[in-house]
Amino acid sequence: MVALNIGRAPHRVAVLPFYGTGALFFALLTVLLFVAAGELTGHHFSPHLLAIVHAAALGWGTMIIFGAAYQLLPVICERDLYSVPFAVASYVMLTVGALLLVWSFWVFEVGVLMITGGALVVVAAVLYAINTCATAARQQRVNVQQVFLVSSALWLFITVIIGLLLTINLSHTFIPRNHLDMLKLHAHAGLAGWFLQLITGVSTKLVPMFLLGKSKREWLLYTALVLQNIGLILFLADGYFNPITAKMLIYAGIVALGTLAWLIYLADVYRNRLRRKIEPLMKHTAISFLNLAVGFVLLPVAFYFSDSRWVSLYGTFLFLGWITAIILGTTFKTLPFIVWTSHYRHLTGKVIVPLPKQLYNERLIGYQFYLYLSAFVSLIIGLIADCAPVVRVALILWMILAAVYVANVAKTIFHKPMITDGNKTQ
Amino acid sequence: MEIKLNDPFAAELVKAQTALMQVIDPELYVNVVDLGLVYGVDFTDATKVKVTMTLSTPGCPMGEAITGGVKNALTAAFSDRETEVEVVWEPRWNYHMITDEGKAQLGLE
Repeated sequence: MVALNIGRAPHRVAVLPFYGTGALFFALLTVLLFVAAGELTGHHFSPHLLAIVHAAALGWGTMIIFGAAYQLLPVICERDLYSVPFAVASYVMLTVGALLLVWSFWVFEVGVLMITGGALVVVAAVLYAINTCATAARQQRVNVQQVFLVSSALWLFITVIIGLLLTINLSHTFIPRNHLDMLKLHAHAGLAGWFLQLITGVSTKLVPMFLLGKSKREWLLYTALVLQNIGLILFLADGYFNPITAKMLIYAGIVALGTLAWLIYLADVYRNRLRRKIEPLMKHTAISFLNLAVGFVLLPVAFYFSDSRWVSLYGTFLFLGWITAIILGTTFKTLPFIVWTSHYRHLTGKVIVPLPKQLYNERLIGYQFYLYLSAFVSLIIGLIADCAPVVRVALILWMILAAVYVANVAKTIFHKPMITDGNKTQ
Repeated sequence: MEIKLNDPFAAELVKAQTALMQVIDPELYVNVVDLGLVYGVDFTDATKVKVTMTLSTPGCPMGEAITGGVKNALTAAFSDRETEVEVVWEPRWNYHMITDEGKAQLGLE
């Protein structure tokens, strides 16, 4: 029928488990935050905070991003996904690895369990990198979004390798550098390499599609690519051989300029959009970019002030402000389509089928948006004021938000195929 | 999709257009005709109905569903003919190809 590649969505098994498990990790994350509420403004190198950060970074952020990436790689690379079995294997490795890491950090059991968790996450990152690079390499015409996807996959690999070495170092010290300084390199390779570059690449493809907008200033994306990478490489190279000093803020500034170039590009897309009405899901995304900007502003504050509260605030803006908001915003712009495709792609044109937006509860999206705003703002106020009751109330809101999100994800994933006359399809 | 009244297959084209208007882009909730995805329908071969169409982007995850929908709709409308769907990337689809009706459905200016 169709000779040219029209981009088949990958089999749902390569995508859905990530969304389902990521949603459960989000719920687990909010429970862990509530249990450790009294420790949130303490030093970041504590068992419970390490467990929470890894639940957020691996179980929540990376889990959902893997699923979304396997779904979007064919769109960005204009080719089918290289390997569904690799995607499934990376899911198993990431899930087990993240669980082992979160558990071993929480009880602070250094040794075999923690190292095994770290090793499994490395295997997951390798499988993901192979899938990403192989899918991108099959396309002759390379676009900047593909380069971002590949670079972010490589940074994820570097991040988790450093992480694995750090877990080994905890039980068998061999790294000739201060463990806490190495932890900063590990964290920022993940934040500025993996999360920032992946989100930069994917957002510059998806936001124009959702807003029906465009920008001719593609040079901004190449500027973003170069600056984000140069700043991070300089930070890691200098930070490994020298103590972490104020000089490192210059490198952060270079990454910030790269981020600014990306945000200017998105602002240009927004100005040149055809779709005037902005949905709540896109508002989530806009808020996430704002939180990222605040994160950059907080970096020197966290550096210069010895109060660990500012480091907590910095982490909160990045994990719960930036990464969580963008996931909440994009989940229901991506997940329903893979479910819809698996149920209805052969039925279109034959019978009237539901639309992807009818696979989830739109009313819950409105609740989700305002719950998120109130949970996030109250948590920030509680952390700044170091007021435990406010923090606890905020974390209850976070748990309610997670319940709403999990319910909507479950409704989408477990959608029963229906056609308009009410009969179930085959 | 433009239909000329003096076209010898005007009646078939109208019937095809009506059928294709039942095929909705699940991402934009607008039918493929008003989105400007259908470049042409050819009835010159008496045994076939050949559609030339595009997608909003190569690798579109909805591509298989949309082209499948076009085939299903035309097969139902012209059961005596075989339906062929050819996807082309030239000319590349852009927002200016959306009809006024499509723009109205999308809530565009």
